Amino acid sequence: MREIIVGVSGINAVDNPGPGIGVARALLDDKDLNVKIVGLAYDGMEPGIYLDWLIDRSYIMPYPSGGYDAFIKRLEYIKASFGLDFIIPNLDSELPLYAKYSEKIEKLGIGVFVPTLKQFHLRAKNRLAEVAEKIGIKIPQTEVVTSHDELVEAVEKIGLPVMVKGALYKAYRAHTTQQAIEYYNKIVAEWGYPIVVQQVVSGEEMNVVGVGDGEGNSLGMLGIRKLWITSLGKIWTGVSIRNQKMLNAASSFIHTYNWKGAFELECISNNGDVYLIEINPRFPAWSYFAAGVGLNLPSNMLRKAFGLPISQNMDYKVGKLYVRYTYEVITDLQPFQEIMTKGEW
Amino acid sequence: MNRSQQLAISENGFIFDPTTGESFTTNQTGLAILNRLKKNESSMEIALKMREEFEVSLEELERDVADFIDHLRTYGLM
Amino acid sequence: MRMKYETPVIQKCQTGLMNKFGSCPHYSRKIRTGIDDVSIDNLVEKYGSPLFVFSEKTLRERFREIHRAFSTRYPNVTFAWSYKTNYLPAICAVFHQEGAIAEVVSEMEYDKARKLGVPGDKIIFNGPYKSLHALEKAVSEGAMVHIDHLDEIYDLEKVADKLGRKIKVALRLNMDTGIRPQWSRFGFNVDSGQAMMAARRIHHGGKLIINGLHCHIGTFILEPDAYGVQVEKMLKLAYQIEDQFKFGIEYIDIGGGFPSKSKLKGTYLSPDLSVPAIDDYAEKITSAFYKNLRPGDFPRLILESGRVMVDEAGYLITTIHSSKRMPDGRKAYVVDAGVNILFTSFWYKFKLEIDREVQGVNEPSIVYGPLCMNIDVIDEGCLLPPLNRGTRLIVSPVGAYNVTQWLQFISYRPNVVLTGENGKVDVIREAEDLLDIERRERLPEHLLLSSKSS
Repeated sequence: MREIIVGVSGINAVDNPGPGIGVARALLDDKDLNVKIVGLAYDGMEPGIYLDWLIDRSYIMPYPSGGYDAFIKRLEYIKASFGLDFIIPNLDSELPLYAKYSEKIEKLGIGVFVPTLKQFHLRAKNRLAEVAEKIGIKIPQTEVVTSHDELVEAVEKIGLPVMVKGALYKAYRAHTTQQAIEYYNKIVAEWGYPIVVQQVVSGEEMNVVGVGDGEGNSLGMLGIRKLWITSLGKIWTGVSIRNQKMLNAASSFIHTYNWKGAFELECISNNGDVYLIEINPRFPAWSYFAAGVGLNLPSNMLRKAFGLPISQNMDYKVGKLYVRYTYEVITDLQPFQEIMTKGEW
Repeated sequence: MNRSQQLAISENGFIFDPTTGESFTTNQTGLAILNRLKKNESSMEIALKMREEFEVSLEELERDVADFIDHLRTYGLM
Repeated sequence: MRMKYETPVIQKCQTGLMNKFGSCPHYSRKIRTGIDDVSIDNLVEKYGSPLFVFSEKTLRERFREIHRAFSTRYPNVTFAWSYKTNYLPAICAVFHQEGAIAEVVSEMEYDKARKLGVPGDKIIFNGPYKSLHALEKAVSEGAMVHIDHLDEIYDLEKVADKLGRKIKVALRLNMDTGIRPQWSRFGFNVDSGQAMMAARRIHHGGKLIINGLHCHIGTFILEPDAYGVQVEKMLKLAYQIEDQFKFGIEYIDIGGGFPSKSKLKGTYLSPDLSVPAIDDYAEKITSAFYKNLRPGDFPRLILESGRVMVDEAGYLITTIHSSKRMPDGRKAYVVDAGVNILFTSFWYKFKLEIDREVQGVNEPSIVYGPLCMNIDVIDEGCLLPPLNRGTRLIVSPVGAYNVTQWLQFISYRPNVVLTGENGKVDVIREAEDLLDIERRERLPEHLLLSSKSS
């Protein structure tokens, strides 16, 4: 089996973990593949850089906000100096760049399996209602606002507390109108308009991770129910579930939009109803769970991209437990020194 | 106090302060200045000696050394 | 053998900021040694610094690209050059040569267009303030007047009486297209029925003929769909007016507002990712036309694009005058161009290019203008390699609004040149001197200083 060098970003396995380490582990779990992992980091302190049993070499990347040229030059450099056959981008801020320039990146001989820019835009929270309707799932009462007046109106209409969200990034729970205005200003200053005001639906938080093949078919999906979350709202313990309403919506999402690549639907279940809260156009941080229960989604994606046979098993056991834990690595200052001075290690 | 005495300075421009755990990066010319500061050379001495090593005018060097030391001060290294 | 010199730099490794690419020279540094094959050195040597440079090639290419996006999709398209974006005669002339008519919003702009040789019937006269005198002049020369409010209807009826003929006019509209802030201060509101009432009033008066509708939904609109909504509402209203009052609507002016590829402050994505292609706008707009037009009807589509045509054709060359180290460790540069000539710096994060290869790593820097004013900041946080005095920064895009909104404040405004398609460089606005500043100033005799001392 020929060696495939896969670049993985989001190797910041910290208290708000990126998905990269889980994706890397999943790929390495597939013993029929001969995969080497390249870590694509944005900061010298991303823990993945120091996990040498998972990641063979790490490179500091220019920020996607710096534009296409710098980014592409860096990918070319990595390809030339170490090799790079495929990239799985795992961060929201990178996706627009990979989506827009996927063809150009593929021309460099670096494969990607990401949604189109048009598909990426579906995740905007002001379009959630439209998507939810098409894929047959409910959403909490939602108002899209662009002024203080509209914000106050929306808060009155929905009733406190409310979620105040940016179209793409940031979400805060506001318990008073004053708080809602503060969050509104904060998000507008950083990310711009529009702002989404959403009813807070209480219930069980459950998510589904999946991969679409870009032709309307699923390359596998797994449902999880959060059992314990951290103070940052990140999943720490969870259990695999099969909620048919949620899984049907995910299938329909893949089918309706010919979704290409990984995605996560964040949902809340309340009295048998399932509400869609958010769409993430990438693997979630907990996606190793799928590989752990025999549904290796990153490997399926890679296999699809390279035309390799894909396991036909799309089933998984419910009631499997997902437990995160902390761990320490002791190493020399040298890797840090190298990454800070040379940008690679 | 001249904290530069206690810094661990590596050849690739990585600087580690063992008493505070802070680290810094610098370039070759910065490295040259730091190594001379460690030997307690004055900024004028540094500029004069470095002019012999590098292709640069004394005026530019004087300005740059002064600015570099200014920067070390803002980091509390001088 | 002496070694190659590089300015010494030191940076602290700070949590959350340990990205080498902040500082790596090869990835974020941009060099520009010329504009349209004319070297920056030659330009500055001959015309001084700071210096505005416009590229005729880019102006024409941009116009043609945008024109093509619409004219290949719809058979009846006219562009009107928005004078307020840049009314230097040379710039306007380029667009007129390309076939654009003029869009003006004041009597001064109207006079400028006429002086340039644009006939009255190729001028759209917009804006909330048109004096009776200006209206009379414009109407008698056949200009396309867009009515902003009810009082203007009365004024125009007076003009019609005076000229003894009926006058063709267009109605300016405002509406909710989902864009915020909603530009509701100009024209008549469609959603509330105000626009229909205005049409009824005009019909009732019998002195004016509505032959066009105009609406401008905002500026720097990043959502092409909004134009689709706008077109649909305008065409519905057009047919309502035609059916009820038997006016013939000959043109639909959808205004401007397309964004240029400049980075607004506070946005994360680079403009090549956040700004939709002009074809996306053209597609939404023309398909909304086809969806809502009656068979066989192709009213003229007028666009008043300004920024998107001219912004990227303009550069400002500026020279580093001095540098200093700020108390927070950042490097600060003082350059010879300030916010007085770079008005758009209040909302743009410009592209900064350096005129030469520079050794050394980037460091967090601030670029200050030369004014003795705290607000005079060109860029409050950028990564630049150590730059010597005399190095030049090329600031872009600056083609829109700067040479109309610049201020006469404590210094002379610099030369503006055009790099021609023929390789020639022409001054299109000379640098000012004291005579320009003082030409209209008068000193009463008893205040003359020399008279007292003699």
